Amino acid sequence: MTASRQMKLGAFLWATGHHIAAWRHPKAHVTAGVDIDHYIQLARTAEAAKFDMIFCEDAAGLREANVNIASQTSRSIGFEPISLLSALAVQTSRIGLVSTASTSYNEPYGLARTFLSLDHLSGGRAGWNLVTSASPIEAANFGSTGLKPHADRYERAREFAEVVTRLWQGKASDHDGQSFSVRDPLDLPRSPQGAPVMVQAGASDVGRDLAARTADVVFTAAQTFEEAKAFYDDLKGRMAAYGREPDDIKIMPGVAPVVAETEAEAREKHEELQELIPDDVGVALLSSYLSISDLWRYPIDGPLPELPESEGMKSRQALVVEQSRRDGLSIRQLARHFAGARGHWRIVGTAAQVADELQARFEGGAADGFNVMPSYFPGELDVFAALVVPELQRRGLFRGDYEGRTLRQHLGLKQPV
Amino acid sequence: MANTTTMHLAISLDLTSMPTADFGLVAGLARKAEEVGLDMIIVADSGPGSALSISPFEATTLLAALATATSRIGLVARASTVAHQPYNLARRFASLDIVSHGRVGWNASLTQNPREAANFSKPEEFSDEDFRRRAEEFICIVQGLWQGWDGDALLFDKSGGRFHDPEKMHLLDHKGEFFSVRGPLNVARSPQDMPVLVLSGLSEPAMDIAARTADLILLDDGPAEGAKARFDDLKRRVMAAGRDPDAVRVLMNVSLAAGDGPDTIADRLEERFRSRSCDGFNILMPARGPALDDLVDRVVPKLRRRGLVRGGYRGTTLRSHLGLAGGGNQ
Repeated sequence: MTASRQMKLGAFLWATGHHIAAWRHPKAHVTAGVDIDHYIQLARTAEAAKFDMIFCEDAAGLREANVNIASQTSRSIGFEPISLLSALAVQTSRIGLVSTASTSYNEPYGLARTFLSLDHLSGGRAGWNLVTSASPIEAANFGSTGLKPHADRYERAREFAEVVTRLWQGKASDHDGQSFSVRDPLDLPRSPQGAPVMVQAGASDVGRDLAARTADVVFTAAQTFEEAKAFYDDLKGRMAAYGREPDDIKIMPGVAPVVAETEAEAREKHEELQELIPDDVGVALLSSYLSISDLWRYPIDGPLPELPESEGMKSRQALVVEQSRRDGLSIRQLARHFAGARGHWRIVGTAAQVADELQARFEGGAADGFNVMPSYFPGELDVFAALVVPELQRRGLFRGDYEGRTLRQHLGLKQPV
Repeated sequence: MANTTTMHLAISLDLTSMPTADFGLVAGLARKAEEVGLDMIIVADSGPGSALSISPFEATTLLAALATATSRIGLVARASTVAHQPYNLARRFASLDIVSHGRVGWNASLTQNPREAANFSKPEEFSDEDFRRRAEEFICIVQGLWQGWDGDALLFDKSGGRFHDPEKMHLLDHKGEFFSVRGPLNVARSPQDMPVLVLSGLSEPAMDIAARTADLILLDDGPAEGAKARFDDLKRRVMAAGRDPDAVRVLMNVSLAAGDGPDTIADRLEERFRSRSCDGFNILMPARGPALDDLVDRVVPKLRRRGLVRGGYRGTTLRSHLGLAGGGNQ
């Protein structure tokens, strides 16, 4: 590792904040989901702090089937991310713009064309985060056959990614495959950065193989250093089989920091948020991660019951179960814990403490950067930009200014031919 | 009936003449059109296989960007019922409508683009009849999804812990011949009640679909007598569908021929408008050259002096520009 290696940072923008109760916080911007000016402000804050990219996740449907639970969270409404990022593209000039989109409910020709257009609007700053969509709620908005099995979704995703890559290369596709047929090349000029950046987040075995083969960036959830390191080594180890160098993928685990001037203040801030989580909301969220529907039947102060293997998010379920066994947590404790950071890594402390932890994972070979998940907006993004970013810059771990124009340049990725 | 006292004016920008992806140029044109108070810009989308008409931008993404670069003018994008899923399309436009504070419309063509099926994993083209039936089902789903949240559903009640009122969120539960969509949309209600539905590419059998569903209809230019009869027929069909004839506006597509002076153009538009064969015009023009300047600086002022074009915007939404219900202040 060279001394000049610097970490990559994503600003993960989501509704009123990543904490499930964020919207109830006195300083959270509660109308975020209908206020474009709020998002323009967040994007400019992240750009002024020299983040590599802003990142939007996505679901084509409600997050929560139980309408009473849903009505106690801010996540049932919000902007559709392609329209959101297209608006932000012309209100910013340097920061990367990455959106999630599903391979299960789109067609490769349309998706490739839309992201390439975003790439042109932004002068080469677009990226696509590939997901296969594990929610039956989404499936019900696209037909009556229900959620497809995990393996089928990933087979479709592999073919989808292959077609999109060829289209972005400007090639006549003439593809006639299992799931898709595409005859013509795209009717848009070639990308200013060669091709939009490909991002992936699936961490199951088949998800890792797809990432090793096609991704430029991988987002992941890892609680401990060991988990993060094991994932990092495993994924980079799979790349040689596809003729790729380890540095061709940037692995960026999610991190949910709660930062303040003193550690005591940071803890207080965190507690304040945790207390805003209603029990039924926390349990419902935990249920969705575990892909089971009847968790509420079990005593909330008792342990997690035995679970069948899910067809939904395999990797996320394993993470929750492992943590519950390791720390002996009750359902309530687990629910609060996961509701807060959604299974991602949480650090509560001062800027120096947060920087220490990030530095340890970065220099320890467990991450190439981090996808930062502020607990509420705009306050916690402002705090990270004002306190943690300068600390990382002082340590030479993060850029003082943008050197390139495109997202590929920010990330130090090769431009595809 | 129908024919409003002043004409509605839209421009359709042909971006295929743009040599490079220059958003600044398009934004400049949009602001120019806004300064003179045009009702809307319609962004066509060439779609696959049109090798001779490469546009650097896909229409809905361009619209989002234009929404932040303008503040009053209506913004309409073409999007195909073959290239999109109804849930995704409804969501995209609902979101665009919030980005633009209620200035967006969706333009669907009721004529199939023959190249689309082959690029969107369809074994073959739909028959014309199937395409139309499917398009109407698609449109009804989209409009249903746009009404899934009541206008006052969001409570934002931090202390009470109630973000929205679950009674004011409605499932669609559509199960039809071509689609099955449960809903609801995960985007809030439009600031103009619903995005404006603009239908074009209407063959004779598609006229009734337009009469049942459209807010705005684009018809091709034709001989004066035929145009008047067609306009009256369309308004009759709107009434037959149980709608107020004023709930639908009809614009005539016109291409300005090179060399036509502003007087000639203004006279031609006035004659067509006074003969009650449309509610206004959709003027097709290239994104380069003096066409827009001529229209904005010379033709529109002439029409305004003759009392045929309103002065400036009276409302803030596209529906209000068009004098349609649900648009707020007019």
